[in-house]
Order: sequence, then C-alpha cells, then structure tokens
Amino acid sequence: MEILMSILAGTLFAAGVYLILQKQLLKIVLGTALLSHGAHLFILTMGKLNRGKPPILIEGIKDYTDPLPQALILTSIVISFGVTSFLLVLAYRTYQSNKTDMMDQLRGTDDE
Amino acid sequence: MMSNLVFLPIFIPLFFGALLVFFNKKQKATVNISFLVVLLNFGVSIFLSYHVFSTGPLTLETGGWKAPYGIILVADKLSVIMILAVNVIALTAAIFALSSVTEKMIEHYFYPLFFLLIAGVSGAFLTGDLFNLFVFFEVLLMASYGLIIIGGSKHQFRESVKYILLNLFSSILFVTTVAFLYSVTGTVNMAQLGERVGQVEQQGILTGIGILLFIVFATKGALFPLYFWLPKSYIVPSPIVSALFGALLTKVGVYSMLRVFTLIFSHKLELTHTFFIWIATLTMIIGVIGALSTSNVKLIIAYNIMPAIGFMLLGIGTFSAESLAGTIYYLVHDMAIKAALFFLAGLLVWHAGTSNLKKMGGYIKTAPLMGWMFFIAALILAGIPPFSGFIGKYLLLRGAMDEGHYIAAGVGLLSSLLILFSVIRIFIGAFWGELKEEPKQSVRTSGLAASAVLIAISILLGVGAEWFYPYVQAAADSLIDPQIYIDYVLKE
Amino acid sequence: MLHIYILIPFLAALLIGLAAKKVDRIHTGWFVLPVPTVLFILFISKLPTLAEGKIVQSIANWIPSLDIQLSFYLDGLSMLFSLLITGIGTLVVLYSIFYLSKREQLVHFYVYLLLFMGSMLGVVLSDNVFVLYTFWEFTSISSFLLIGFWFYRERSTYGAQKSMLVTVFGGLSMLGALILLSITAETNSIREMIANRSDIIESDLFIPILILLLIGAFTKSAQFPFHSWLPDAMEAPTPVSAYLHSATMVKAGIYLVARFSLIFSGTDVFFIIVSGVGLITLCLGSILASRQTDLKGILAYSTISQLGMIMTMLGFGTGIATLAAIFHIFNHATFKGSLFMIAGIVDHETGTRDIRRLGGLYTFMPISATLAFFGAFSMAGFPLPIFNGFLSKEMFFDSSLKLEQTSGFAGTFAEWIPWLAVIGSIFTFVYSMYLVFGTFTGKAKLDQLEKKPHEAPIGMLISPIILIGFVVLIGLLPNLINESLLAPAVASVTGDFALTHLAFWHGFDNTPLHLSLIVVAVGTILALTLKRWQPIFNRVPGKFSTDRVYQSIVNGLLSFSSKFTKFYMTGSLRLYTSIILVFLVVSTSIFIYVTDGFKIAFDDLAPVTWPEVLVGFVMAVAAIATIWMTQRIAAIIVIGVVGYGLSLLFVFFRAPDLALTQLIVETITVALFLLCFAHLPKLKKSDKKSSEKLVDFVIAASTGALLTVVAISSHSSKYFDSISKYFVDNSYKLGGGDNIVNVILVDFRGLDTLFEIAVLGLAALGIYAMIKYRDKGDMNH
Repeated sequence: MEILMSILAGTLFAAGVYLILQKQLLKIVLGTALLSHGAHLFILTMGKLNRGKPPILIEGIKDYTDPLPQALILTSIVISFGVTSFLLVLAYRTYQSNKTDMMDQLRGTDDE
Repeated sequence: MMSNLVFLPIFIPLFFGALLVFFNKKQKATVNISFLVVLLNFGVSIFLSYHVFSTGPLTLETGGWKAPYGIILVADKLSVIMILAVNVIALTAAIFALSSVTEKMIEHYFYPLFFLLIAGVSGAFLTGDLFNLFVFFEVLLMASYGLIIIGGSKHQFRESVKYILLNLFSSILFVTTVAFLYSVTGTVNMAQLGERVGQVEQQGILTGIGILLFIVFATKGALFPLYFWLPKSYIVPSPIVSALFGALLTKVGVYSMLRVFTLIFSHKLELTHTFFIWIATLTMIIGVIGALSTSNVKLIIAYNIMPAIGFMLLGIGTFSAESLAGTIYYLVHDMAIKAALFFLAGLLVWHAGTSNLKKMGGYIKTAPLMGWMFFIAALILAGIPPFSGFIGKYLLLRGAMDEGHYIAAGVGLLSSLLILFSVIRIFIGAFWGELKEEPKQSVRTSGLAASAVLIAISILLGVGAEWFYPYVQAAADSLIDPQIYIDYVLKE
Repeated sequence: MLHIYILIPFLAALLIGLAAKKVDRIHTGWFVLPVPTVLFILFISKLPTLAEGKIVQSIANWIPSLDIQLSFYLDGLSMLFSLLITGIGTLVVLYSIFYLSKREQLVHFYVYLLLFMGSMLGVVLSDNVFVLYTFWEFTSISSFLLIGFWFYRERSTYGAQKSMLVTVFGGLSMLGALILLSITAETNSIREMIANRSDIIESDLFIPILILLLIGAFTKSAQFPFHSWLPDAMEAPTPVSAYLHSATMVKAGIYLVARFSLIFSGTDVFFIIVSGVGLITLCLGSILASRQTDLKGILAYSTISQLGMIMTMLGFGTGIATLAAIFHIFNHATFKGSLFMIAGIVDHETGTRDIRRLGGLYTFMPISATLAFFGAFSMAGFPLPIFNGFLSKEMFFDSSLKLEQTSGFAGTFAEWIPWLAVIGSIFTFVYSMYLVFGTFTGKAKLDQLEKKPHEAPIGMLISPIILIGFVVLIGLLPNLINESLLAPAVASVTGDFALTHLAFWHGFDNTPLHLSLIVVAVGTILALTLKRWQPIFNRVPGKFSTDRVYQSIVNGLLSFSSKFTKFYMTGSLRLYTSIILVFLVVSTSIFIYVTDGFKIAFDDLAPVTWPEVLVGFVMAVAAIATIWMTQRIAAIIVIGVVGYGLSLLFVFFRAPDLALTQLIVETITVALFLLCFAHLPKLKKSDKKSSEKLVDFVIAASTGALLTVVAISSHSSKYFDSISKYFVDNSYKLGGGDNIVNVILVDFRGLDTLFEIAVLGLAALGIYAMIKYRDKGDMNH
C-alpha cells in the first residue's frame, strides 16, 4: 500500500510540476495546490499506513498509527493554506497591475 | 531559568511584531516603540552571546519536553554568533528606517513584518529541530512575502510572484524531505538525526535525502543553478527591505547548510562535499558575471550576493576547522557589508533619481560622505585587507588550498578581482566624472548613519580580528566535531 | 620603533584630513613636508647599525591566532627602499607645494600621498607576508586615488581604474602565491621561509608559486605584458608620477623579486622567466618610448624599460648583477625623478607636454634645461664619469656577459642576453636624446604654446637640482654609498656580504665599454634620423598594443557578462523552474545511483485495500486532468476532487484530525479559488509547441518519479524506531489528552503551532494590506 501511495503522491507532484511550468499564473497556482497535496500524502505514507488504531487513546489499546506525521501534516496544511491564499490574492493583484496573467509577459528588464 | 533566555530573541520580535499590527496608524509611536524593541533585543542577544561563550551552550526544552521528543532550542556558539549578527543588522535597519520608512510603509505593516522576519530568522538559527526549522523558514518567508510587496508597484508584484513561487516549491520539497528523513531515522530532532545518521554511516538513501535537503537550502541560499529568483526580486522593494533580504535571507540558507552538513550529513564527504565545492565555484563565477552584466546599481549589489555565498559554501565543502571558521567569519562579514551596500545603493538611487549608472556622475561633490563610504565598502566587499572580508577569504582560500582545491581557490581569487571591479565601477561611474544632473534629493542622514555603523563594524571585524576570531574558531571547532552538539542536546 | 615609522604617515594623513581645511592661508604641503623629512633622518640614523651587519626589527601583535603579526625588520634592502620612499618623498612634497595650486583639493592629495608613503614603507619593512600583502594592496589603492585625483577627467578615471584592476589582479595572484608559500613552508615570516627554502624548492607547487608571485611583481612593476597601466597612470599630477610611478611604487615588484631571491634565485625557471620578461620589457619599453609625443609618455615607457632592465639583472641572480640592480634602483630614482619634475615644470610653464609643440626652450628655461640634459644623459648611460646611469648600465653589460648558465635552454638564452641588452640600450639612448633635444633645442614654437615660457620658480627647481646633484655626485664617487647602502642591500638579496669596489674606468680592453660605445654610435645615428623612421610605428597594427588587449578584455568581459546574463536571466519563470527541477532530478539521481541508495522492500507493507486504491486512482486521474482543463469551474472541480480525495484517504488511513482539517481547508481554498477566478482572466489553452510540452512532461514525470523513488527507498530503509512511541506512551500521562495528534500539536510541539499561527497571521496581514491599499496607486520606492 505504501508503494502505491508513494506512486500516487509522485503523480500528484508530477501533475503539480507540469502545471507550474505553464505560462498562465492561474494554472501555476493550481499546480502549487497539487504539490502540497502530494507532499502531505508523502508525509503520511512515511509513517506506516494502516497500522493500529487512529491516534486517539482508548483504554486497553496499545497499538496506534504513527501520530507524528499527522501532526506535521496538520502544521503543514495550515501553512500551505496561508501561502496559497496569499498567492491567490497576489496573483489577482499582479494581474490587475500588470494587465496580464501570462508569465511570459511578466519578465521585466534591467532598466527599471 | 537561564535557558528561557534562548527563547527571548525569538519571542521579543514576535510579541512586539504582533502588538504593532494594531498601531499601524500611529506612526510616531510605532517608530519609537520599534526602535526600543530593537535595542532591547540587541541587548538580549549580547547577553545571550556573553553567557554562551562564558559558560557554554544553552538549550531550552520548549514546553518542558526533553529532546528528542519536544522541540529543543539550542544556543550554541554558532547560533549566538548568528543571533548577534542578526540583531546588529536589525539595529542598523531601525536606524536606516528613521528617515526612510514612509507613512505608507508603516500603514502597510512594515514594522510587524520586519519583526516577524527577525523572529523567523532568529528561530531558524536557534532551533534544534528540523521540522521546526521548516516552520521558521515559513515564518521568515511569509514575512518576506509581505515585505517585498510593500509599495505595491507592478514590478514588485511581478517579481514577487516569481520569488514566492520558487520559494514555495522549495518549501514543499523541504517538508517532503523532512518526512523522508523521518521515515529512515524515526526522528526530526537534529541532534538525534546526527547521531542516527552517523550510526548507520549515512548509508543507502540517506545521501540522496541529504542532496534533496541541500537543494532546498541552496534555493534559499541562491546557489548555482538555483538562484534565479534572487537578483530581480531583491531590487524591487524599498532599500531597507532589500538590505534586510540581502543580509539575512540567503544567510539562513547558508546557516542551515552549515548546520545540517556538519551535524547530520558529514559521513560521505568525498561525495557530497566535493559536489559542494564545484557548486561553490560555479556560483562564484556566475555571480560575478551577473554583477558585471548590468548598469543597474541595485542589481550589481544583488548579484554580488552570489559570489559571497559561493565563498561560504567553499568553506563547507572544504570541511576543515580552518575553512569552517572562514565560512562563519565570511557569513558575519557578508551580513554587515551587504546590508551596508544595499543601504548605500538605495541612498544613491534616491540621490540620483535613477538606478542607471550611466545616468549618474560627479556625486562626490554633492554627497562626498556617501561616496567615500561606498569606496570603503567596495574595498571591504572585495576582501582587501585589513577589512573583514579579508579574514574570511584568507581562511577560506587557505583551507581550500590546503586541501588541494586549487581550481576553486583560483576562481575565488579571480572573482575577488571582479567583485572589486563591479563595485568600483559604481564608485567611478556615480561619484567621479562630471556632475551630469543635479541630484534629486539630499542624502538621508539616518541612512548614512546606518551605513556608517555597518562599515565601522566591518573595519573592526578586520582590524580587530583578534578580538573576534577566537570565538569564531571555537564555533567552527564545535562544528567539526558534531558529537559535542549531540551529547549536549541529548544529554547522554 | 619601526611600527611608529610606518604609523607616522597614517597619523599625519588623519591629522591633515581633519585639521588642514581650517588653515587655508598656508599651502597644505608645508604641513606635510616634515613627515618624510623626519622619517628620512630617522632612517639615516639607522645606517650605522646596519653597517655593523645588524638588522633593526620590532614585532607587535595583530592577529596572533592566524599568525598574522606586525613584524617589521630593516635590513639593507629595506633601508635602500625606505630611504628612497622618504627621501624622494621629501623632494616630491616640496616640489608639489609649488606645482599644485591652492585651488586644488590639496587635503585629498596629501592624504592619499601620506597613505601611500605609509603603505609603501609597510611593504618594504614587513616580514609577515600577509602584512606585506595588506600594505601592497594599499599602495594600489592610494595609487588609484592619486591617478584619479582629477576625478572629473575621463582619462584620469580610465587610468585609475586600469591601474587598479591590473595591480589588484597581480596582488591577488601574489596572495595566492603567499598562501601556498605559507602552507608549504609552514610559516608566514619571509625570513623563516628563506630558512625553509628547500621545502619550497622541492615542493610540487614550486612552479605555480613562483609564477603567481611573479605575476604580482610584474603587474606592480609594469613588466610586459602588464605594463600598459603605467602610461595611463600619467594622468596623475606630475609629483605623483615622479614619486609613485617612477621612483617608488613601481619598484615594489622589484623589491618583491629581490626579497624572495634567496628562495627562488639560482633556479633556471626563475632566471628564464624573470630575465626573459625583463628583457622583453626593456626592449619593448625603450622602443615604444621613442614613438611617444607626450613628455610624460616618453618617461612612462622609459620607466617601464628601466624597470625591465633591473628585473633582468635580478633574474641573473649573480653578485655583480644584483649589485648593478640595486645600484640602478638608486640611480633610476635620481635621474627619472628629476626628469619627471622637469617635465612637470615644462608643462607648468608652457601649458603643454606635447613634444611636437615644444622645442628651443633652452633659452627660456636654462636651469631646467641643464638639469634635463644631465638627467637624460645619465638615463642614456652616456660614458662619462659624471653620470651615475652610465655606471650601472656598464655593470649591466658586464653581468650579462658573465652569466653562469651554460646548459640547456637557459644556456642558449644566456647567450642572447648581451645582444638584447644592447638593443634595449640603443633605444634608451634614442629616446633620451629625443626627449631633451626635442624639448630644449631647435626652434621655439611659441605660437603653439598657451603661455610664454619662462624659468620655473626656485621652489620648483630645488628638488630636481638635488636629484641631479646626486646623479653627478654618485657618477663621480660611486663608492660614497657603496659600503653604507648598496653592499648591505646586496647582502640581503644574495645572502652574503661582499664589497665590490665600484669604478668608472676598467681600461680600454673591456667588452662592456665597447658595447657602450656601440650604443652611443648607433643611438646617435638613430636619434638623428628619428623623424624618418618613426612612421614605421604607424604600420604596426593597433591590435598588438597591450592597451588594446586590456580594453578588449575589459569590454569583452562586460559585454560577455551582459549577453550571457541576459541570455538566461530572461525573467521567464518557466525557464527558472525547469533549470531548478532538472538540477534537482539529475544531481539527486546521480547521488542515489552512486551511493546505491535505491531500495525497495516488500516485507513491511500495509495490505492493499481496494477503497483506498480506488480513491487514489480517481485522485491521480483528476490531478492529471487539471492539465487539460480550460473551463475554470472544471479546473476547480478536479482540484477539489484531489483535495477531497485526500481527506478521504486521511479517513481511511486513520487520521481523523487530518481529514477534518483537510476538509475545511479544501472548502475554503475552493471558495477562494472561485472568488479569485471571478476576477482573473479565463483559462487559455496552452499555445505551446509540442516539443515544449514534451520537455514539460519529461521534467514533470521525472520529478514525480524521483520523489517516488526516494519515498519508496526511505520507507524501505527504516533503520530506527520512531520517537512516536514516546508520544503514544506519554500523551495522556504527561500531556493530559487522549488525542495524541492534538497533544503533539499543542504540547510536545507547541512551538510549531505557535509559529504556524504566526504564518497564518502574516498571510492575513499581507492579504489585508494588498486588498485594502490597492487603489492608492503605486508608491514611490
């Protein structure tokens, strides 16, 4: 299962990377969302999958799935959420001030 | 009780940064409070350094959880040197800000972002936990995202999009890599990582993970070929922001490399560190080429960040007590001089009303003090003795030659010449020659004062090297033997 | 004591810089004059000590941890140079008082000059190589400032930049050599290096060290092919040319070679390189001097040529050659110094230095003219006992005939040397005559001059008179300075003290005299016919001139940098990302391959269960599908599918908190996307070429594959137990919570959470600022 999930996470990454290589800012932002998903799936997979109970203590049960990756993912999800929202608004403002959302028209020169 | 001191350099800017969010309309109060806070934090960092160097490293087990389970903050010699340097930069930035931060910038939360940046950078220097390092990276990056767009010009938006996207990618890679490392070692505590990676002699996939981590830090540190985001994005914001970026951001990347590739991944030196030397060499070359490629004053300074980073990586790659001391010395020197140069370039651009060198000339008459400071700063940057740049460069070159890395050392020497050329061109072009156009505005005094402080520090770091070098050497010695750090943190 | 000597000029510079502006009635030079004078007397007072065979030394701490110590010592060689620096320094300051008007920025001028004086003393007195290097670079910097003294002139700034680039290049090369020397000999002291000579000679690094060190010396002493900065340095005020660019700073390279002679001399490589370069410089410099039209231009090339001659003799390394070299260092300083001063006087009094517009000045300025004739004839080596230049020239011929190298290439080379020496001397004779006769005899062209020429004020003449006095005095009585000055200096270069009697007359039957006579005869013919053959120079293509080479290097570097950087720093995010990703994939793959990092183990896996596989499959399809989405709503839906799929997976994989958070975050994100999409332009179909798409695909697929490989390998190499067990065991007991993930977040790793909130707050702040202040227009930044 871990191997399959690694492949899935890799696929999400690949799709994300493909999107950030595109010209349109919007697609790039979508790509970053996929990259985050891929990363989180990787983290989860790196703790073992499907071992023991969910990490909520119950009397008498000793075997729980690894809680640390979950905690790390939670932190990471919140952070990515912050960054993604910021990026979205920035994309909007960039479009508004530069009148384009195509990255190849957002190159700029030395002489500004 | 003393150990809580470790948290202060992070907590003070965090707390006041958060507080100042509510004062963005009260300009005067904000400026004054900020200055006091910076002074306070500077004092704390001096006390912390004094304490660490006189009685040994300090750790703080946050929440009272012992290592490796809780997050440990570690103030060892290297960390406190960095903290001290950060606070010097913060102090001079606060001085510079007195005459350069506009009402609008304050309204745009300049000071809260500034303090959070300091908190993030300080946290990155102090944390002993790899995932927590990621979190602090995000804090400082998010603050930098906020800072880079203050002013809201279209260039700023355009360049910050690129800056954020590339940094975002490297952050995602960072967190993924931490997970991989956790899978192999079962821990995220850096001391324990060092111990465990050492126990299995960095076998199997560990070196690959190390390289991924290197790429993450190299992207932050702007090494070849991962530096593309840097030059343009550093010149679009206000000079004070450029200076903060130039002095602090890339250095966090270098610090992280310095830490991780001495403490954790230092068991396959012949592979990884040889690779670093090549990257360092290429970074120097590409950096000086960039610095010579343009007539944009700010861009020249921005490109000059790269050869400096190359120098620092050369020391990590050489991996001797001497060369690591060189890296640390150079790191501190570069923080001071890059901030000074970004300040001066900003002042110059304001004075001239353009950043194009070809449109400047003769300003030595209208701004002699700035001109001479620029001249001295150029010499310092190029590593002319007896200034600070020389000490670090000397150690690095000597270390490299001692280990037989002659090509890298040769490139280092040659790039010093070209660094000097690139910056002395500004001096000759902007300050010498006939006065072409009347200056647009007079030089801002507090800006000049801030630059003067930094230049004075750089001179002191060189002429008075004997007062500082033993501490740097002590820090380097404890890097070369990671067991010191491991034992101290894990208390075994 | 020596520390204080070196410190005095620096302190004086500081004082002058701070105080002199206050006193504007008196020429600043008068305040400066005592500095070199006093130092000169102080150094003279040490002469008896040296004559006893002792050396003066003093050591102070600077950076003991790095073994960079302020250790200075004064031996014969240092003494000779110290006397030149302070002696000529005195005369030059005196001269400058009359040369530079009070309207000039005198404070700057004298501060730079004093900085130079102190640094130059530092160079010749340092025993520690890195201290020497420090002062060495400072002489380059003060020279830069002095050449750029008239900073508003383009030629000055050009010359200043050029001299700095060339000499700092040499300085850095020298630094490389010094570090290697220090590593090889395990000391930073020159004297200890000499003591460990065999370590250096036998080291594999011997040749690189030698070459790097010599590049430093050659650049500073304007040796071929680095000589071209010196003519451009003539843009400096004439006192500077007389002082730095003929008498002292340019001899720093000579000093360096002499100082390290005890290590390198005697090897064939040293002989061939130093004498070879010296001879080329001697001949080229003298030939080029004959084509100049600017008086200072002639003198500049002449200096290059003369330095080449001294260098050649140091390359010989024999006792007599060294004596001749040392002697010529002194002689050159006297006659060239005076000639520069006269050139300055001519410039000052006529308003031009162009020899084509000059002539017949003898009648207007007889004293200057007489002095110039003495200087020039001494420079030409005219065989009369009143010219010190003749004596050292004769010794040069003599030593070139007595070379000891007989075998191999060095032997062949040695046979050619006398001939080259004669050629160089012939042209030296030619330009010397050209210089004085062209300026002072013939018909005066008063209509071409800006002002009517007349003799210079006496103050300006004192210094050249003193120097010419030395020319004649030493020409007549060379042994006056032999025992006290020359012999000790030779001793520090060759290692043994042997007093050679200097004599003007060796009888008719000696080859050097014959050579001198040939030089005079051929030189006279060539000088008389100069106008006829001078046009030959115009046929030499300009691209062979080293100035052009320098320019093309500098311009080439700038334009290459500019083109190269523009070529890849296109501002294209796609290019940047691609390079980063390719680097990521390639370097990591290589490392994984080399370290045999790939590992896959099937023994510790969770069983494959279908619901997860199904969800995963749908997610993969949706992720890939985003690539083709052209409808914004559709794009959001597929992204949503991936996000919600992920929360479903979190449920399956027993991460309830994650699932919940992911669900909420995904919902908000989708809402945000929707909001933003309303304001952003529609998705366009990719207009990329299929080759570009292929590149994108390869990069994307390989990045995904690489991370998958690392993930599988990491999962298959769990060498240690996770620290998580501690959290499971202690979550309730110590953390007081059932939900382990929550306890970790708020307690074990509370710091993460605190700063995660900080990040969120920062993002909110940034967003708020972006939206709130958007309509206030662009700010001035």
